[in-house]
Formats: sequence, C-alpha cells, structure tokens
Amino acid sequence: MSDPAPPVLRVRDLAVFAGEKPLLRRASFEVGEREVFGIIGPSGAGKTTLLRALNRLVELIPGLRVAGEVELRGQPIAGLEVNALRARVGMIFQQPVIFPTSIAENVLFAARRLRPLSRSERMALTEHALREAALWAEVRDRLHAPALSLSAGQQQRLCIARALAVDPEVLLMDEPTSALDPKSTHAIEELILRLKATHTIVLVTHNAAQARRVTDWLACVCIRDGVGEIVESACCATMLDSPQCREVVEYLEHTR
Amino acid sequence: MTRAWSWFFSMVAAGAFALLVGIFAWQSRPVWSHEGWRYLTGANWHFRQQEFGALPMIYGSAVVALVALLLAAPIGLGAAIFTAEYLPRPARLAVKALIELLAGVPSVVYGLLGILLLRGWIYDLFARFEPLSGDTLLTAGVLLAVMILPTVVTFSDDALRAVPATQRRAARALGLTRAETILNVTLPQARRGLASALLLALGRSMGETIAVFLVVGRQDNQLPAHLLSLRPLLEAGQTLTTKLGGSETHIAAGDPLHWAAIVGLGLILLVITGGLTVLGTTLGRKSDA
Amino acid sequence: MRKVTDFALAGFAAICAAFALAVLGGLVVVVAGRGASALDVSFLTGEMQRAGAAGGIFWHLVGTAILLVSAFLICTPFALGLALVERVWWPGERGRRFLRTALYTLNGLPSILFGIFGFIVLVQWCGWGKSWLIGGIVLAMCMLPTVTLALVERLRAIPARYLEAAAALGLDRAQIILAVLLPQAWGGLISGSLLGLARAAGETAPIMFTCTIFAGATWPQGIKDNPVLTLPYHIFILAQDSFDPAVGARLWGAAFVLLALVFLLSLLALPWRLRHHEEADV
Repeated sequence: MSDPAPPVLRVRDLAVFAGEKPLLRRASFEVGEREVFGIIGPSGAGKTTLLRALNRLVELIPGLRVAGEVELRGQPIAGLEVNALRARVGMIFQQPVIFPTSIAENVLFAARRLRPLSRSERMALTEHALREAALWAEVRDRLHAPALSLSAGQQQRLCIARALAVDPEVLLMDEPTSALDPKSTHAIEELILRLKATHTIVLVTHNAAQARRVTDWLACVCIRDGVGEIVESACCATMLDSPQCREVVEYLEHTR
Repeated sequence: MTRAWSWFFSMVAAGAFALLVGIFAWQSRPVWSHEGWRYLTGANWHFRQQEFGALPMIYGSAVVALVALLLAAPIGLGAAIFTAEYLPRPARLAVKALIELLAGVPSVVYGLLGILLLRGWIYDLFARFEPLSGDTLLTAGVLLAVMILPTVVTFSDDALRAVPATQRRAARALGLTRAETILNVTLPQARRGLASALLLALGRSMGETIAVFLVVGRQDNQLPAHLLSLRPLLEAGQTLTTKLGGSETHIAAGDPLHWAAIVGLGLILLVITGGLTVLGTTLGRKSDA
Repeated sequence: MRKVTDFALAGFAAICAAFALAVLGGLVVVVAGRGASALDVSFLTGEMQRAGAAGGIFWHLVGTAILLVSAFLICTPFALGLALVERVWWPGERGRRFLRTALYTLNGLPSILFGIFGFIVLVQWCGWGKSWLIGGIVLAMCMLPTVTLALVERLRAIPARYLEAAAALGLDRAQIILAVLLPQAWGGLISGSLLGLARAAGETAPIMFTCTIFAGATWPQGIKDNPVLTLPYHIFILAQDSFDPAVGARLWGAAFVLLALVFLLSLLALPWRLRHHEEADV
C-alpha cells in the first residue's frame, strides 16, 4: 500500500446523516489498484449507504447529508461533475434492474450517450461488454430479444455488461449475488475474479464464505452506539481467521 | 340482514343506471327509423322540416375537445413532469392538492370567466380574420383546455410516479442526467398511464356542457365544406352537449320525432364519453397491474 | 449538449407548472376580486330583487343547501350497499373489476344526461313537475360513483390482518362488517361524500331541467311542483343576458360564494384524505 500514485479510492472520515440522525460515521479506508475490497457486516449496519456515498447516489435520496471526503485518484468526488463520476464509478445493485427493452439496448443504454457511436462501433462495444461479463455466448443470437426474458443470473450479468460498457475504473457491487441461485452466484464470483485484472472493485457481501473466495481486503461495518461504523479493516484472511473486534467475532459466529 | 339491504340498494342503483341507458336507447328509436344513418352523417338540422343530421354537432364536440387537448396536454404533461420528477415529496403533495382543489371550480364559473374575459381576448386577438363575435369553437376549446388541465396534471403525475424508483436509480447510477432518465426511462415506461390520462381528459371535454354553452355561440349547421379547414374555429358552433342544454329540449317535448332526435343526441354522447372513459380506465388499469 | 437538455427540460417543466398554477390561481383571484365588493351580510341574507340587479342570494343558498342535503341522504345508502357488495359479497375478482370499471365509466358520464333522465322519468312520467326532490335524486346519481369509489378504496386499504384477526375470533361475515369494515368506512364515506357534494354544488346541467327556476321560489311546501332557487342556475341565467351593470358585481358575488362553497367542501375532505394517504404508505 505504499504506492507513489494515489490510491484509486480514498475515503476519509465519511459520515452520512438522515437529517440530524447519523447513519454512518468515521469511515476511512483506501482501495488500491485492481483490488477487490470487500465490505461485510450485519444487515442495516450501513454497508449500502457507504457504497452509495462512493458514487454520490446518496444525493438522490432527499434528506440525506454526507460529510467527510471521498477521493477518486486524488480528486475529491464532490468537485467532479456527478454524471461523469458515475460513468467512472459504476454500480451493480442487489436486484438486477433491467430496462424494458432489448438486450442490446440495455447494454448500450448509457454508453451511447457518452459519445456518438457509429453502427459498427455500437456492435463492437456490445460484443466487448457482453464478453467481459461472460454473457456473450448465451445471448449472441438474440441480442434484440427482450432483456426481461433472461434468467435472474443472466440479468445480473447483463447489468454488469451495461456498467462495463461505459468503461468505468471502479465497480461498486451491492450484494450482487444475494438474489441468485448457487450456480449463478458461482458464475458471478468467477466473473469478479476475472474483472479484477482490469478493474477495481468494491464489493458489499452478506456472505463470509464469498468474501473469502473473492476479496483481497475486508472492512467490517457494524452498529456501535446506534450508528454504523467500520470496526475492523484488514486483509481478508486475517479478518476471517483471527478477527480482533468483538462485533466482528459475533457477526462471523452468526453467519457460520 | 346487512347483506340483503346491500344487495337491495345495489340492485336499485344498477337498475336506475340501466334504465337511463335504456331510456336513451328506446326513446330515440323514432329518429333512427326516420333518418337511418343520415342521423349521424347528415349535415343539416332543421327540426321544423323534420330534418335531423347530427354531424355538425358531433363535429363541434370533437373540434372543441381536440383544441382543448392540444393545448392542455403539453402544458399538463410538463407540469406533471415537474411535480413527479423534480419536487420533493411534501412540495409535490401540496401542489397536487392545490391543483385538485382548483379542479373543482364549477363549470358555470368557468363559463362566466369565458364570457367576460376570454371572449373579448379571442375577438381582439383574431380581429384581422374578422370573426363575427367572440363566441367561437376556439373560445370554447381554450376554455375547456383550462378546465381539463388539472385532470391531465393529476393523472399524468400518477402515471409517472408509478414507474418504480429502482429504474430511475439504475439509470442515474449509470451516469445518465436527470433529463435523460426522464426522457428515456420514465416517460416510455409511463406511456400507458399517460395515454389513459389523455383519454379521460378527452372524455371529460366531450361531456362538458355549461361552460361550452356560454361561449360557443350555439349556431346550428356550421359544418365546413372541408373537415380539416381552420375557419370554423373562428365561427360559432354547436356541440352535442350545448344542443341538449338549449331550449330545443323543452320545445321538443311535445313531438315524438323531435324528442327522439334530441334524446338520440344524448345516446350518441353517452356512447362516445362512455367509450372514452372505459378505454381510459382499462388502459390505466393495465399499467399498474 | 447533455447539460443543455438537462437544463432545458427542467426549465420547461417548471414553466408549465408555474403556468398551470398561475392560470388556475388567477381565475380564483379574478372571481374573488370582482365579487368581493358585493359581499355583505345583506347579500347573503336578502332575497333577490329586480331579477338579480338588487337584493341578495339567500333563497339560492337555501335551495342549494336543500339539494345538497337531500343528495347526500339519498346517495349514502346506495353507496354503502354497492361498496359492501363489491368488497364482501361479490363472488370473483373479475366481477369486482367489472363493477369498478362500471363505476369509473358512470363517473365520466356528462351530468346533463342525468338531468334529462330525471326530466323524463320524474318530471314527466311521474308527473312531479319541477321538484327539489328530483334535484336531490339526480345529484345523488351524479355523486354515487365518486362516493362509492372512495368507499371501496377505503375498504380496500384496511389491512388484511384486521379481517383475519376478526375471523380468527370467530366472527361471521356480517359481524366482521359491522365490527371492522363499517367503522373504518365512515371516513371514506365522509371524504367521498364531501368530494361528491363539492362537485354537485357546482352542477348546473342536471338541475336546470328538473328542479330549479330563476325566480319566485322560497321554501318548498311539498314535493310536486316545488322547485327551488339555486346558485349555479342563477349565475347561468344572468351570465347569458346582455350586461346590466347593476347586476355585475352581484353576479360575481354569487360566483364567489359558489366558489367558496365548493372549495370549503373540498377542503373539509382533506384531513380524511391525508390520513388515508399516510396509512396507505405504511
């Protein structure tokens, strides 16, 4: 972690408030290049809120206020144009959100707006994104079929392809496999490990075993005095095998 | 006991409404046998000569309603986009409540404002086309546009809000601007509900009587030679509702054929507005199924 | 370019909203402005003189009140019956949906049709002539869909757990209705009726054939041939005549009073409607 270049994401004393009530406090961590940074913890602790602060999606929820600093490659994200930020920091939600159009149109939904694309560029980009998301083989014959006809696992991979099509530097994933069956879960975990070579990933997961399989570094968010907080942050194996914090120990016991 | 009473009242209510439809159908029979299809397509209504062509009135109703819709739809949709997509919840509810309140303004008050304000404006505005007076189809259309504006806004807002927040959030998370989200995600997915809103507003326009009565001029047989010409907008006209609301309804009470002709207009009105409302309601229903 | 579209759409939407509010608010301001000068105690308590050029609208208020009260009383049992049948006893969801569609359709029917219906059946066939009661019946018919739908929505919003708990306690259907549904239904009945009455108060078309005249009526003495004076019809007739300046302010005053009445009825419905809105979100 002693890289001369700034880390991909640096978070310092991030806090989120709903009006006066704090939801999350004093979150600080760094995410390095091409690393899978995992966030685990019990439900309701604030993991999703933390994630959504990283692409300023919290701003869409009225009443929420953010304090502290988040930097993307050294630049405070509050100073960046928000839509450009969100193209650089993509997000995958727990439930795959598919637009009611064709597969191809879903993939390019955002990409086509970033810059005008010729027909051949569009086809090339669609194929590239779908290959990166390990979905190309399954849908190459029916690119114009309704995307809603895909299975849940395929839909989630479509969402990943869609996010990849705008060429992001970071991918934020909010429990991407909790709504999926074991086979699809496995496929997506494989996908994450492959994507690690080219992208930086922040992954919220409910599942300690998944964290062990996929992440490099873990932060555990637990509720302390009624407010979410990162109680421990360590290398994945270290955290899971010898947790230091009482809350983490309890949490890991629960999920065993 | 409660059961028996509930069924009793329901049956009586159903019976009354069925009777209404039945009476309009039954009492208009003579004019259907007298005129046949010419009742709907005939361009002349001269009751003294027993000639009953309803087309000018169907035309009048349609023109007035279409003008109203053309004016109210863009503004109403724009306002609904504002309330549904840009306002925070408390403000949105307050604005909606205000607009719904204003929707209750009685048509006779609209008519009064139409006579005292709108008539003069239209007359002056189009003075170089030399209209005969300010009582024209256009005046009625503009007045109706204001009347149906709350309907369009309220139903369009509902249709837009019915699009799930997850869709909007996913689009924003991809980096789409608010406008791009509205134009490419929200509006397309709200299509059905918006169509329903417009159909219901159209139905309301065709059924409006009093306000139109006061500013449309109530001139019979104003069917233009070319259906798409704009000249009739600046001339007086007659709609199905204004004919029914006029003195002819009392005059006709003695003569079976004349009476049938008048009641027949009511039947036409019933079918058109009923059809539009059913269509609008079922369309709107499917979008939230 | 994307930023321009973003700004343009927001601007367009805001302008439309402002325009809509301005136009609608503006007309209220105009009516109030022109009518306020006529408003004093004698206007509200005096009877009409010189065909509206002098005097007040007392009997018109009385007539409108009579129509509204009778419309409410007539409408209520029918609305309750229909709502209960729809919620409790009608077999099958398709039938229910049909009933609701029928109600929405009736709601969209032009009120003049109800007026002509009343004219045919009650004024002529039954030989009642113009009568306040016919007005009440016709207005009740106009209101019925609104009130019934409000009741149905209210009853639908009752969480299933109340009904389940009651059934689990051993209550039969009729008892469940009385114990659980009806108490909750009153709110829907009141708010729906207030909305229906707000609309009915402003109606002219259904009453002009059936129950109202321009001048000469006071308190009805019976049913047959006992019309009343009403605010909307008063405004309607005077609006058509060429303008006598003496009538002017009084006409606007009458319009203002009618508007205030309609708004009052709508606003009274608001607390119930807001409370229901909140419960539905829980």
